Amino acid sequence: MGSMLGDWPSFDPHNFSQLRPSDPSNPSFDPSFNEEMATKLTPATYRPTHSRTLPPPDQVITTEAKNILMRNFYQRAEDKLRPKRAASEHLIPEHGCKQLRASTSN
Amino acid sequence: MFRSINVTSRIFERQIRTPAPGTSVHCARRFYENIVPSFTVYDIECPDHSFRKFTDDGQYLISFSRNHQDLIVYRPMWLSFSCKEEDCCRHDLPPKAKRFESFFTQLYSVTLASCNELICKDFFLSMEGNQFGLFATSTAQIHDAPTTGRAIQGVPFIEKITFHLLRLEDGVVLDEKVFHNDFINLAHNMGVFLYDDLLAIVSLRYQTIHILQVRDLGNLVDVRTIGSFCREDDELFLISNSQSLATSERSRLNPFPGNQVGNGHNQVNQDDSFLSGIKQRLLSFIFQGMWNEETDQAMRVQSLKKKFFFHFQDYVDLIIWKVQFLDRHHLLIKFGSVDGGVSRNVDHHPAFFAVYNMETTEVVAFYQNSAEELYFLFEKFCDHFHATSRNSLHMNFISSHSNNVYALEQLRSIKNKGGSFSQFVKKMMASLPFGCQSQSPSPYFDQSLFRYDEKKFYHVHIMLLQLISATDRHRQSTDHPIKFISRRPPYTLKFKIKPGPEAGTIDGRTKRISSFLFHPFLPLALSIQQTLFLQPSVVNIHFRR
Repeated sequence: MGSMLGDWPSFDPHNFSQLRPSDPSNPSFDPSFNEEMATKLTPATYRPTHSRTLPPPDQVITTEAKNILMRNFYQRAEDKLRPKRAASEHLIPEHGCKQLRASTSN
Repeated sequence: MFRSINVTSRIFERQIRTPAPGTSVHCARRFYENIVPSFTVYDIECPDHSFRKFTDDGQYLISFSRNHQDLIVYRPMWLSFSCKEEDCCRHDLPPKAKRFESFFTQLYSVTLASCNELICKDFFLSMEGNQFGLFATSTAQIHDAPTTGRAIQGVPFIEKITFHLLRLEDGVVLDEKVFHNDFINLAHNMGVFLYDDLLAIVSLRYQTIHILQVRDLGNLVDVRTIGSFCREDDELFLISNSQSLATSERSRLNPFPGNQVGNGHNQVNQDDSFLSGIKQRLLSFIFQGMWNEETDQAMRVQSLKKKFFFHFQDYVDLIIWKVQFLDRHHLLIKFGSVDGGVSRNVDHHPAFFAVYNMETTEVVAFYQNSAEELYFLFEKFCDHFHATSRNSLHMNFISSHSNNVYALEQLRSIKNKGGSFSQFVKKMMASLPFGCQSQSPSPYFDQSLFRYDEKKFYHVHIMLLQLISATDRHRQSTDHPIKFISRRPPYTLKFKIKPGPEAGTIDGRTKRISSFLFHPFLPLALSIQQTLFLQPSVVNIHFRR
């Protein structure tokens, strides 16, 4: 997994740089790896290797109960009714990273 | 990919090839290019009823007697006969083909209206799943109505309106709902919207939206009433606090500065100290929106003075015109001024749209009818404005500019025609909220199969009204047939529908109104031409011979 990609040659040295191990002291996930290339990678998505337990609730894809038109209305209402902050506070964009999410209740 | 238009090769194709995912209905519909109602029997002899509509499942033809007191339901059938000679195709149809009874069998006739009532022949809603039909009867309309209680001025008055829920199979009346001394706009289903099993009835006079549920056994059950009160226990809360009502009345009558743009008539509810529940929700939504626009306190107050308090009386005087469901919990409500409420011409009156959540009793959105934001949502998600119930399969395939490239092209061409964009937006918004069951699911109206002149189909229960303004409803019919041209090469004329008698009419001056009834899935259509002088109408049957 991960740390192997950090050393591969690529055109842009910044590619895969984020996968570089920052702390080599953690034991590797896969015992077949070389221990020096241990990685502190914690994947954002949980990939189950068994089916004994349910995945965490925020990792399940479900159908949104509201249709897209209603979602648009609610989105615009939220934007309108949320009090506007000063410009300096807008550091993180609203839809920074897309994540799988459970359906919100109506 | 070359698709043959030959019906035999299409059938063979169907045997060996599965359609692309999600397109099975569209693929099946292509056969309608081959099977068209090209043959017309003119001026068929039929009983003198007003034919209203085919139900969306194609099982019934609804009609009303001329005296507007009886409901007569027919079952559409197909003409069948046998011919022993050779070369049967060349023969003319037997004389029984020219009879109405060969195509329709009468199932029953039920008297719905008692002596002083009349059936509203422009009103009919059907529930597909349980085959129920909703009809309305009313007494005469009175225009100068006395105002009592919470009734608003300027709205006509009907002593008794009854909604009848009928089982279409046998004509048994299952339930009734009566409204007394009220006014509900029944023409073309305007004041009523049916979504799944929920019914929204707008009482214009009392400014209330009644939500009812149609149960499986045929009972009409009150679910909620939105208007004066939003939640079920609001009234209880107010009554139990009646003492605080008296003191707050004094403080409420304090007039706001800059409030000169009233409508001329005073607040009608002199004895009520609170604005109605829905109005309060609306005003607080508008207020909050404006409050949050500015961060600086002084700017806030300025902005509120200009935009909110200056128009406060206008907002308070808005009345509910029309309502539709967007889903089970949300309503799209159209507000406007009293003058525009009962007239058909909506162009000169400002109108507003609000999206209201019935469960949380919150207003989610509020737009003026010239709002570009609302128009963009309408352009992109038109299908979601046509709230079709999940049970109905074919209603989801009606062409609109959100699901059909040709319809979108037509919309764009109107947009680019010139004139101001805001005029165009107002024109488009005039069709919202959509009327319930106003579109025919017939595949002959599928824009990807046929091209036809929509302006000739004026009648509400046929097709898209976006291109026709509300005032064009009584369009004079022409003698020119309406042509349906194939969208696919070789772009030939597939069939045409000619209303009126075969030879055409000599008298070009009498106004005639044509209406068309297309069966939802059979290649069968009725065209009815009426003059305005109560002469019997001319009925033609168009079918595939």
